[in-house]
This record gives sequence, structure tokens and C-alpha cells, in this order.
Amino acid sequence: MFEIEIVFSFALFALGLYGVSSGRDFLRIFFSLEMLLNAVIMILATTAHYLGFTQNIVLAYMVMVLATLEAAAGLLIFAAANKVAKVLNPDALQGEEND
Amino acid sequence: MNIILLSLALLLAISSLLIKKSVPAMISFVLMMFVLGLYYINLDAKLLGLFQIFIYTGGIMVLMLFGVTIIGLEFPHYKKKPLNAVAAFAFFVLITTLFLRGADKLQHITTTNLQESTLFSASYSDYVIIFALIASSILYTTVKMSAVLKRKNRVKK
Repeated sequence: MFEIEIVFSFALFALGLYGVSSGRDFLRIFFSLEMLLNAVIMILATTAHYLGFTQNIVLAYMVMVLATLEAAAGLLIFAAANKVAKVLNPDALQGEEND
Repeated sequence: MNIILLSLALLLAISSLLIKKSVPAMISFVLMMFVLGLYYINLDAKLLGLFQIFIYTGGIMVLMLFGVTIIGLEFPHYKKKPLNAVAAFAFFVLITTLFLRGADKLQHITTTNLQESTLFSASYSDYVIIFALIASSILYTTVKMSAVLKRKNRVKK
């Protein structure tokens, strides 16, 4: 039971990894980053419940706060990039256009 | 119950990356986070679950709505990168195999040597180092990004 739930969180992490590495538009990259962090929170909560590592819950709160801050900072960068360079894709900032 | 919730969360996560329209993708993503909140409540971490649903999901939804106003109703089309999908799948297989090989030992350790845990008493300094590293990397990225944008703006002018 415990192993299956951890494997689910690995799957979510791999999905987020794919989304980040495929690097399309900013919004999907944010979705993927949140998936990565949610997978980590899931592992922390699951291990806290099944294995008794209760300090993991505190770490989960900290990761959650960090994820929200990261999303806010990232979206501000996205808005600035869109205003200055008119791009929706981070690769385009380096001069590499996709399609 | 947990498996059903997690399967639903995974399906919603996949659909949020595959749907081409931005608003349904965002709704799917927010529902995924909501389902994860229900999962935490089901795990007896009620405050974590409520925090996830009311604060995390709510905050992220507002931020993503702001992003949707910039992106538009449909995501722009980019070429697909199947190699990244293969790499992510390989990572999943690798980490799952490694975990399942060591899972028995982990359970054995926790059942035989379960002690009353003290919050942050032993590893407080380690956490501080990790979070300092993360914060400095975010700061570096922000500074670097603003420098790139400034350069781009100057070239444009």
C-alpha cells in the first residue's frame, strides 16, 4: 500500500520532469514545476503517515510555501519577459525560436 | 480510496499537460491539486490538506489566471519532444526500481527502531542550508533573468 502511493508520486514527479524539460510556454512550465513540488509534498506526507516521520509534515508546509512563492516570482518574470521581449517561450529569450 | 484519489490526480495532471486550451488545462491542474488535498485529509494530515486546498490551490489558481490573460485562450503550438518523454519515463522506472529494492529495509528500520520524533532538534541546521541554497538559486535566477531582459530591451531599442 505504502509503496504504491510512493510510486504514484514518482509518476507525478516524472510527469513534471517531462513538462519542465520539454520547455514549451511559461504556463505549462509552471504547471510542471508545481507538479514536481506536489510530488515531493506527497512523498513527505505519505512517509509521515506510514513510517512515522512526523517532522516531514513541517517540511511539507515549508515546501508548500516555497512553491507558492516560486510561482509568484516566476509569473512576475513571465509577465516582464512578455512585456519586454513579447515571448511566451523561455527558449526564445536566448534567441532560439521553436517553430 | 487513496489509490483512486491518486489515479484521479495523475489523470488530471496528464490532461493538464495535454489539453490545448489554456482554461480547461488550468481547471484540470487546479482539480489535481484539490484531489491531492483530499488525499492528505484521507491520510489524517487534515491541516496539510486544508492548507493545500484553501491556500495553495487558491493562490496558484489566481496566479495562473493572471498567466492565462497573457497566454490567451489557446496555448501556442510548439514541436513535440518525444526524447524528453522517454527520458522522464526512464527516470521513473529507475527511481521506482531503486525505491522498491530498498523499501523493505526502510519499513524494517521504522518498525524496529521507532522513536518519538523531535521536530527539527537534530537536523535544523541541515534544513537551513538546503533552504538557503534554494533561496540563493532563486535570487540568482531572478537577477540573471532581469539582466537578459534588459539586454534584450536594449537590443530592441
